[in-house]
Amino acid sequence: MMGKKNWTAGLLSLTILVTAACGSSETNTAGGSTNAAGSANAAASGEKTKITFYSYNLATAGQKDGTQKLIDEFEAANPDIEIEGIPVASPDINAKVQADIAAGSPPDVAQLVFDGLDYIANNFGAKPLEDLVPEDELAQAFEGFSPNGLKLGQLNGKTYGLPFTFSTPVLFYNAKLFADAGLDPEQPPATWAEVKQYALQIAEKTGATGVHIGGSVGNDWIVQALIGSNGGKVLSDDRKTIEFGSEEAVGAIEMWQDMIASGAMGKLNDSEVMEAFSQGQVGMLLFTSALQSSFLTAAEAGGWELKSAAMPSFDGKPTTPVNSGSALFILSDDEAKQQAAWKFLQFVTSERGYTIITSEIGYLPLRPAIVDDPQYLKDWVEQNPLIKPNLEQLERLNPWVSYPGPNWYQIETILLEAVQKSIQSTDDVSTIMQEAQTRAQSLVQ
Amino acid sequence: MNTKKLKASAIGKHAVLIALCFLAVFPLYWMINTSFKPAGEVFSASLWPKTWTLDNYRDAWNAIPMARMIGNSLLVAIAQTFTQLITSILAAYAFTRWNFRGSGIIYGLIGLTWLVPFQVIMIPNYVVISNMGWKDTLTGLIVPNIASAFAVIQLYNAFKAFPKTLIEAAHLDGASDWSVLWRTIVPNLKAPIASIGILQFITAWNDYFWPLLVTNKLENSTMQKGLQMFMSSEANLWGPLMAATTIACLPVLIIYLLLQRQIIDSFVKGGLR
Amino acid sequence: MNYDTATSAMPKPKATTRPQAKQRKAFSARMRGVKPYLYLLPVVLSLGFWVYRPLLQTFQLSFYQWNLLPTTPKTYVGWQNFKNLLTLPEMGKALTNTLIYTIGVIPFSLILPLFIAVFTDSIGGRARNVYRALIFVPMIMAPVAVSSVWRWIMHPTNGILNQTLGWLGLDEPIRFFTDERWAIYSITFITGWKLIGFSTLIFSAALTGVNKEYYEAAKIDRANRWQIFRHITLPLLSPSILFMGMLSILFASEWSFSYVNVLTQGGPLGSTTNIYYLLWQYGFQTFAVGWSSAAAVVLFIGFGLIALGFMNLSKRLSFFDD
Repeated sequence: MMGKKNWTAGLLSLTILVTAACGSSETNTAGGSTNAAGSANAAASGEKTKITFYSYNLATAGQKDGTQKLIDEFEAANPDIEIEGIPVASPDINAKVQADIAAGSPPDVAQLVFDGLDYIANNFGAKPLEDLVPEDELAQAFEGFSPNGLKLGQLNGKTYGLPFTFSTPVLFYNAKLFADAGLDPEQPPATWAEVKQYALQIAEKTGATGVHIGGSVGNDWIVQALIGSNGGKVLSDDRKTIEFGSEEAVGAIEMWQDMIASGAMGKLNDSEVMEAFSQGQVGMLLFTSALQSSFLTAAEAGGWELKSAAMPSFDGKPTTPVNSGSALFILSDDEAKQQAAWKFLQFVTSERGYTIITSEIGYLPLRPAIVDDPQYLKDWVEQNPLIKPNLEQLERLNPWVSYPGPNWYQIETILLEAVQKSIQSTDDVSTIMQEAQTRAQSLVQ
Repeated sequence: MNTKKLKASAIGKHAVLIALCFLAVFPLYWMINTSFKPAGEVFSASLWPKTWTLDNYRDAWNAIPMARMIGNSLLVAIAQTFTQLITSILAAYAFTRWNFRGSGIIYGLIGLTWLVPFQVIMIPNYVVISNMGWKDTLTGLIVPNIASAFAVIQLYNAFKAFPKTLIEAAHLDGASDWSVLWRTIVPNLKAPIASIGILQFITAWNDYFWPLLVTNKLENSTMQKGLQMFMSSEANLWGPLMAATTIACLPVLIIYLLLQRQIIDSFVKGGLR
Repeated sequence: MNYDTATSAMPKPKATTRPQAKQRKAFSARMRGVKPYLYLLPVVLSLGFWVYRPLLQTFQLSFYQWNLLPTTPKTYVGWQNFKNLLTLPEMGKALTNTLIYTIGVIPFSLILPLFIAVFTDSIGGRARNVYRALIFVPMIMAPVAVSSVWRWIMHPTNGILNQTLGWLGLDEPIRFFTDERWAIYSITFITGWKLIGFSTLIFSAALTGVNKEYYEAAKIDRANRWQIFRHITLPLLSPSILFMGMLSILFASEWSFSYVNVLTQGGPLGSTTNIYYLLWQYGFQTFAVGWSSAAAVVLFIGFGLIALGFMNLSKRLSFFDD
């Protein structure tokens, strides 16, 4: 009996020993060689510096071509650099980067969403541009950049990410439904009170859904925009106290709850509403401006007119549009690659880069001047006037706040679930939000 | 009187079965139906496209390196099925042919691996694959899956039921253990081996999470990863998505249609337990 | 480091026994003794390396707080991760949902297939094959494709299902995946739908193996159809029923995982999350590796015990087989 056990245990442990030995020796050799080889080759023989670039725009059928064009044009202008674009779907991209760091082979440049900024800076080892690039060169590169835009990728005064593809919340509306309901399509609502009134009128006269406010699932940028527009904050300026239980925050969510309770807003969720809106069944929709081109196509096919307006305000208080989207982060530890990556980042955020980003991928330019420049976006903007409210919002743009510590994602989820719970019920919003605040606070480290 | 009653019950039986078959096949039908509808018609509930279009297929085909990915899927699925069958045949033979020390414990340990959720072992294995330089390769997709606890258990059950007298007869004729396995047992157990192979093939073909993590470029990945391209979070491209899923299901579907009789037969004869 | 201590304590069978086996006869006898292990080697090596190695790592990590990154320290926290699991607010819901998935799948994996198998068994030839072939179709479709198609069919405004229901007089479309009350049942349904074909074939196979004389004997005894089913078919199928029952209980939640991941991501408001999805979220979204490892350990041991129970039960029932 004893012998039997020993045999199996012996065999098993032998297996483990052999395999573990293989594993660890491989680790050392492979891990060591990649870094060293990379820089040596590039420096010595004048070979191409190769950069891996994780991008979720590359993983989306409609945005792939524009993103690839950015890469191709950059490579044409910089023959000594090769960009290996790797498509990773946006829900998986943080996990993929984390797994690659754990495996010792992080990507050189990654497109990551702003809500993870704190974690990316502190845990993914993102390199602040101030550490890679001389001050004057950096200042020169940032000339003509929207100062608000630059803030998006900054944390504690350092620039960890350069804003790449991002958008702001805009109010899309269906001009045909406006007209059918007896409203003037040239006079979009400017306050939430007006939105409610218009929406009820649309619902009553046309039977369509009046309005939908997107952003209660997925990410919290629209929630942050609404709370900010009502004078609140989700996180204190010293990044230590969660504040989404405050009176202002509660007020913003109460408006949202009232939209549904009053029948101005339907019960569809975000992805359903996008389709319903595409088919001309929703009057107004507050959502990401990135949807514009797909809505335009749908409107043309469906025979209605798409219009857009800036985000409505809380009775005249200044609105604080918050950006969604992503920045590019340099993760490489190799100096040659870092410099090559910086060149790539510069190109992508150049006049030409933002022209492609705006006209072919569907996001916003962070260099305001190119909008009036015939060499870049002037013609395009004239053909696509819908982008204007969006561009105006850039002046009031607030950065998407990332939560501190390793639990940032849970905190964001807690906020979103509290919002969902509030707007899907008629319960007391302040109780729900304060409970969520307490829970989130305990996760701040 | 009696026959009438019997007929009524037979009709009822057929009605139930037809309803269930309808339920089973309808999604496949709807997928194919939608994939042929032009953009303006996708949202309509019509049971077949009013105007047929191949636009969705063209879009899907152009958006990702489809042919290459299907090729990869086939290669990975065939390689995995083949290696899993070989390794499990060997293991099942060892367990049935000999009484040896620790056989119970080893069998138990093999069986237990079936219970380990892939979510648990994914990241550690990814680190290993990455260190071996197999990231973004088909090797990285295949190698961690060359053995399957499910296949071992099922084949063991099949082998156990194989009459011992046949094995002994072959032995008396001077056949070695090796040739008994491949000349006597395996040819006689074609049905269960085939049915397990089919299941393993389907599993390998449909694997989604491992290729998602291990491969970077679409050219090096399998078909399932390509589907993600059409399920972007901001807008679902239903037409191309349905075209892509149809293409992704097509090879297995064709194999199934061609071999349907044999597959069902081998299942019914092979009998998993 | 665990590996090292484990191996040094164990005898190394090959190295110590080799010298004694000099004689030919003894050597070939030895060879015969080694043979079964050689046949097992590929499976054992592969599973040892690709399953047990990471599993041991998981056991170890369940006592640490870490996020897998080389830059962050790995701190030993003892049983803290396990204690945290118990107090996790989502845990109660995840466990209840796991139970709902498990029970909810049973009609699709046991009851329906059992009846289909019995029905088709009594139908002859061609029709039987057609039915079986069609019922098997969901099994061959990829989970990602299945998710997409069902989402499309069950879409609240554009889906054929809601359009049909509306035509039948339903006022407001059912939001199958976004309504808290419906979502988990929609996912359970899809998980089960995928299974029907597989279970049906298993039961059909078992029925084919049943000696038809039992039925003849029963008919002579004027047993009615229900009595035949209850007293002959059911007992004869009990090993297969047990097998499918075990699969359903052990894997219902894991099978539903793909659909949860694509269709609801655990929402709305956590109504479709289950223990596997929770583990996934902690492992892959918040990178609380210690927590997800602890959850994995509990899961592995829990399901291991259930599996053991089933094994014993099936041994006791196996006399029906002959």
